[in-house]
Amino acid sequence: MGKIMMINASPRAPKSNSKEYAKLFAQYFSSETEYCEVKKSNHLMLCQKTENFSDILFVFPLYADSLPVTLLNFLKTLEVNPPQRKPTISVLVNCGFIEPEQNNIAVEMLRLYCTTNGYPFGSVLKIGSGEAILTTPFRIFLKAKIKKFAASIKTQKYDTFQVTMPISKKMFIRASDVYWEKYGKKNGVTKEEMKTMKIEE
Amino acid sequence: MNLIVSDRNLAVFQENHPSIKFVDLSILNIANCVGCFGCWTKTPGKCVIRDDAVKVYPLIAASEQILYVSKIKYGGYDTIMKTMLERNIPVQQAFIRLFQGETHHVQRNVAAKKAVIIGYGDISAEEQKIFCRLVERNAKNMSFESYSVKFVSENEVEDAVRNEVAIWEK
Repeated sequence: MGKIMMINASPRAPKSNSKEYAKLFAQYFSSETEYCEVKKSNHLMLCQKTENFSDILFVFPLYADSLPVTLLNFLKTLEVNPPQRKPTISVLVNCGFIEPEQNNIAVEMLRLYCTTNGYPFGSVLKIGSGEAILTTPFRIFLKAKIKKFAASIKTQKYDTFQVTMPISKKMFIRASDVYWEKYGKKNGVTKEEMKTMKIEE
Repeated sequence: MNLIVSDRNLAVFQENHPSIKFVDLSILNIANCVGCFGCWTKTPGKCVIRDDAVKVYPLIAASEQILYVSKIKYGGYDTIMKTMLERNIPVQQAFIRLFQGETHHVQRNVAAKKAVIIGYGDISAEEQKIFCRLVERNAKNMSFESYSVKFVSENEVEDAVRNEVAIWEK
């Protein structure tokens, strides 16, 4: 294989966890990588760039149970501006919930996109507890899985992987309470205020 | 409240249906969610982007019967509807709960609702299958107590909406 183009399609790409996942991937991938972020104004430039790569890795968060609009819109542009040689498309998707399976629909949508548009489909890494896992000791499990994921793309032995925090759902809920409470505190907002049931009132 | 949220103009919007509120997303100014978590951790329950979406998500939350009308793309909602659904997260808290054995966000004051989703376009069997699975997942996060999905071609949308409106108004 040749070079891989890592496309971060997070709506907050410059400050995203997806950016951190892409960095880790690049550390473990033993061939050349190039990192790009999807912006409203760079779709065509990214489409042209895909010509130079044997592989694409889409890195993005799950939004409302599926692909974020940032990625959806880029895919629509790519559909009408495809490269002449279709690279193999792999997927690294994360969600904030503990179950990595909650990412399945997004993966299926991309798989369908590849089938319909003639792109070979590569490997998949589904990350659960994706909002917090990077800042916990469980980061080592994440790194180990990214390493395997990267190796599968490098060797073209494509496979599907998943990783999450190895704790019970109850523990996860308690840990996420603490995480979000701290997040609010940084903004001067209490847990009680965050728990308001009011919407736009 | 009965609510129709559509990604396109519909003739039925021009008629008098006093028990139904209509939202035509195609004429609204709704920016992409930027994933800032402001609606959870800075101004809970309110999006920090003060565009037209802030008028729509309270209606979605309050509705007891809702009809979504959306073009389907790659087995999901196309851009207009998906943009709104992503901006709908102020109706949830950051905090997580166990719901039907899975972790999901705690809902704020969101009415349990009966939902109908009309997906339109030239939709393959595979796309239909994926979309049905997507709506099954949406049901857990969007407080659907029941739902049905209907697929129609672009020129059948008006009739499909009219049928649902007639059922609501019976």
